[in-house]
Amino acid sequence: MPSLLKKVKSRLFIAARRRTLGMLDGEYGSVFKGRGLDFDELRPYVPGDDVRDIDWKATARHGSPLIRRYISVRRQTVLLVADTGRNMAAASKDGNAKREVALDALGLIGFLALRHGDDVALVHGDAEKTRYFPPRTGEEHLERLLGAIHDSAGRESPRSDLSCQLRFTLRNFRQRMLVFVVADEFLPDAETESLLRRLQARHEILWLTVRDAALAVEAHAELAPCPRGFKTVDISDGTYLPDAPAARPSVRRAYAEAMKEREGVRREFYRRLGVTEGVTGGDDVVPALFRLLELHRMTGRAHAG
Amino acid sequence: MELTLWWMLPLATAVGIVATLILLRRGRGKQPQRRYIAHRERLAALPEYRRALRSHRRWLWIAAVSAGVLLAAAVVAAARPVQSDVVQPETRNRDIVLCLDVSGSMGSTDSALVEVFADLAKEFDGERIGMVIFDSRAVQLFPLTDDYAYISTQLQAARDAFDGKEGTSGFFDGTWSGAGSSLIGDGLATCVQSFPAGDDTGAETGPERSRSVILATDNFLSGTPIFTLEEAGELATTRGVHVHALNPGDFDSGDASDQPGARLKAVAEGTGGVYATPDSPDSVSDIVAKVQATEALSYRAAPEAVVTDSPAVPLAVGLLAGASLLIAAWKLEP
Repeated sequence: MPSLLKKVKSRLFIAARRRTLGMLDGEYGSVFKGRGLDFDELRPYVPGDDVRDIDWKATARHGSPLIRRYISVRRQTVLLVADTGRNMAAASKDGNAKREVALDALGLIGFLALRHGDDVALVHGDAEKTRYFPPRTGEEHLERLLGAIHDSAGRESPRSDLSCQLRFTLRNFRQRMLVFVVADEFLPDAETESLLRRLQARHEILWLTVRDAALAVEAHAELAPCPRGFKTVDISDGTYLPDAPAARPSVRRAYAEAMKEREGVRREFYRRLGVTEGVTGGDDVVPALFRLLELHRMTGRAHAG
Repeated sequence: MELTLWWMLPLATAVGIVATLILLRRGRGKQPQRRYIAHRERLAALPEYRRALRSHRRWLWIAAVSAGVLLAAAVVAAARPVQSDVVQPETRNRDIVLCLDVSGSMGSTDSALVEVFADLAKEFDGERIGMVIFDSRAVQLFPLTDDYAYISTQLQAARDAFDGKEGTSGFFDGTWSGAGSSLIGDGLATCVQSFPAGDDTGAETGPERSRSVILATDNFLSGTPIFTLEEAGELATTRGVHVHALNPGDFDSGDASDQPGARLKAVAEGTGGVYATPDSPDSVSDIVAKVQATEALSYRAAPEAVVTDSPAVPLAVGLLAGASLLIAAWKLEP
């Protein structure tokens, strides 16, 4: 089996021309690691580092910005929460399965956590079962987690219900940790809202939404929503969705309008709960994560400080 | 409505079933690739999409039904639908006897009448014509016949004689040998007798034929006929013969019923015929046409079964189905 983690790393290193890793690294560190009391070292500034961490005296002596690093207060746990129900095997906006996009994002966050010496745990599942991998460190462990996600989110898997995984998380973990959730563009119901509210009080939540495949192209767009020779089929029950009606201008307009509204409702939902939400279409996982971390820092949700 | 090649229908049905099976089998082999998506309610819940989907489905149905109807219509048309009718062809079966007074005053009228009938005879089909000429005696030139070539030559000879051509004087032989001239009653009686006895003997078995006598005379009687005009008229009535009288010289003085013209008219109309007084020989043809019209009796011959191709209905249905299929295809094009 090709290493899933290697794929993630290669995305990080190659596609983003090496700089991204440093940026994401700094972002992660400044968001989650916080500042302990024991000074560790000085290191060059990379974009993404908290400006408060700059050692101005040293910078003045050295000529370029330097960052003071402290020994981490404590080893923290990053809990990856993933929906591995049937929905995640469906197409994302860029055409790949949403599962692949989720793997990229989870792998990246897990990798960053490992680099900072944090433990990574995983809760994933569907409407019928929820599986838990306890926190550990090491790339083999992360690889195993990614493999579990990859293998369970298939077309034949039970349907998705993320509230099961959220409930599991709420029940089983008292200790504060960083919860990184990857979900698709589902509209959260009242139960999910109450779960999330309680979860948010106890943990620190980062939420990444993977965009679903477009069902009708936006009005005036040239691209067909579905490549020729393909049938659009709903993954939940195999319902065939004819493309010809979706190509009508009136339908496309209405769809664009409805999508805008849905987007607004979803954003408002996470904003109300105070959950930092990022969005990725599938081909922009790295920048999306960077934006997510940046946003999280800006909104001051970071626990350290 | 029957089908000539009725086996076309089961054959086409069998071909259709086999083709459907083959297509189904091939279709099962290569399913179109699928793009799996989630949260279809994003699109499926839109009223615009539902409406578009309904109309899409409707056009799909129309296309499917049109294609089916088109195929069925083509098969039915290929099976050669025929219309088999039982028709009773109209036959013209009139018997006409030309009854011509050949006294000296009648030459031009007789000539015109014969000419008209010579023309008519060319179009006759089923009618029979006989000819009797009379003066002091009646002579049957030819009996009722449908030998139109013979009729034509006889009428030509009569015309030549009436026109006074040379060498035709023998034509009138036998008409002068009695006493007097223009013995109309005898002439008419002879004409009436020249019809087959018919109902009198019960020998007539063929279809009923209308009988008419065209009597051309000026009714200037001189001498004592065996039959008076009225007696001859009665004879005609009993035999069911219509007497149409042409009187070129109606010289009646006053309206008295014993005047020759009035008597002739009474007799003619008494038999259900027409009485006419042509002003000139040219108007004879109009009068004959009028007579023809009153005699326009048609009889039904034995019923006949006629089989005709009638592909119009299936072809029209196929055309309509094809048109609606085209429209549906155009509507389904995204």
